[in-house]
Amino acid sequence: MILPPFELHQPTTVDEAIELATQLRKDGVAFDWMAGGTDVLPNYKNRLNARDHVIALGRVDELTSIGKNSIGALARIEDVARNSRVQSDWPTIAKAASLISSPPLRNLGTVGGNLLLDTRCYYFNQSEFWRDSKGYCLKADGDVCLVVPQKETCYATYSGDLAPILLVLDVELEFRGSNGARRVPLRSFFEYDGIRRFEKAPDELLVRVFVPSTDKALRTDYLKLRARDTIEYPVMGVAMGLRTKGGTVADLRVAVTGSEAVPLYYGDLGLGGATVDEATADAVQAALLDRITCYRNVPFPPGYRKAMGGEFGRKLFLDLSGKA
Amino acid sequence: MTTASRSDSRRGDPARPDNRLLRLRVNGTVHSVAAPPHAILLDVLRDVLGLVGTKRGCDMGTCGCCNVLIDGRAVMSCLVLAHDAQGKDIQTIEGLAFDGPDMHPLSKAWAECGGSQCGFCTPGFIVTCHELLANEAAPSRTRIAEAISGNVCRCTGYKKILDAVELAAARIREAEPASAPAKSGGSK
Repeated sequence: MILPPFELHQPTTVDEAIELATQLRKDGVAFDWMAGGTDVLPNYKNRLNARDHVIALGRVDELTSIGKNSIGALARIEDVARNSRVQSDWPTIAKAASLISSPPLRNLGTVGGNLLLDTRCYYFNQSEFWRDSKGYCLKADGDVCLVVPQKETCYATYSGDLAPILLVLDVELEFRGSNGARRVPLRSFFEYDGIRRFEKAPDELLVRVFVPSTDKALRTDYLKLRARDTIEYPVMGVAMGLRTKGGTVADLRVAVTGSEAVPLYYGDLGLGGATVDEATADAVQAALLDRITCYRNVPFPPGYRKAMGGEFGRKLFLDLSGKA
Repeated sequence: MTTASRSDSRRGDPARPDNRLLRLRVNGTVHSVAAPPHAILLDVLRDVLGLVGTKRGCDMGTCGCCNVLIDGRAVMSCLVLAHDAQGKDIQTIEGLAFDGPDMHPLSKAWAECGGSQCGFCTPGFIVTCHELLANEAAPSRTRIAEAISGNVCRCTGYKKILDAVELAAARIREAEPASAPAKSGGSK
């Protein structure tokens, strides 16, 4: 499938990339950032919101490093999954990274790309031919959402694997742009809309993800539902952090991906201080079933995905509290 | 889709207005080629350089038929811009001794174990397994299965592919005990 023509920019430093983006923005030219290309290029091949200019970041080496308290936005997902520091300090980040797509795609894909992944939908991720026959949707070329028919909000599904555990760990994102640098907590970054997705100026570039130090007693894990054990995006994913003290819940953090247009952080589900037992595991499950909403726009029926979200929450609670 | 690609007959023509010159190092040889900014590496390899061992499967980053090594790592060449591959070391199946007297142990084991039936996916698998065996001397069957989980084969059922990789790994260990990587399952 041939890509639509575009002008390609290949900066080698962050400064050069920002300068290019600022200039394009000033000139009123629409452009896309491209890190690994594994999300942008299939969408471009399907003629999904392709722009006339692309800034490819493959030569910006300064953003690939993995440090003591941060991960560069252009660190390759496979490098993160196999990095010994990540495996020991943030094992669930390594696990979530290892569950992303397939090895050759993890060799291309980046942490920043996975975090800012475009939302996915049965009516969106299709060829132009398919979309032309069915009718275009709100997210590309149409004016009505084909999942929840209205003209305001896109309900495409957020499908990144890293976001839930990064929400649990309360990371901060550092952006660089023409106005300098800014840091945003991931928990307040996303905005509920499958098109807008988050608050970020077009010429701002995600440069690093800062992971705060957490209590070593906080145990974390991530479970993912997908159609095959490889290649596929999550159609439900739950990350949990749990610290117990004296048989009660001292710190509980739950986040979900693959359900709605953004990854959602549910905090402690109102279960702080609860006794660590089967009844609380049931309460985790019930609280998730209360909160999770799924739409019919990715593989598996919404009811099944939601039920699995509840099951994952229950299992994670039992596993992490040692009650399994 | 492939018809459209073939009809794009001026790919590689330096006189085509949007073509830019680029230098690609493929299988140890530097080629100067002309391609538009949006040219995909897979298209340049096949249509301009004539390296048709790399197959176009899904063209969307799912099947692994187009895998090549870039700086030693298996990636899907249908999702790499040719201009982004400049300055990197690209190896295709043609550069991995897939035929002749110097046939690589992987290709040899593939033939002996019946790792290919229709053969369309084979170059992608062998490229992927090159990366695996370059990093791990004795991968377990589970580890091999994980490594090839981005390659799709509709004929073999994968068992014979796993057999072939195990056999090749064993032969490489026997042939080069000193230079083989010391650890198995290690990080890169």
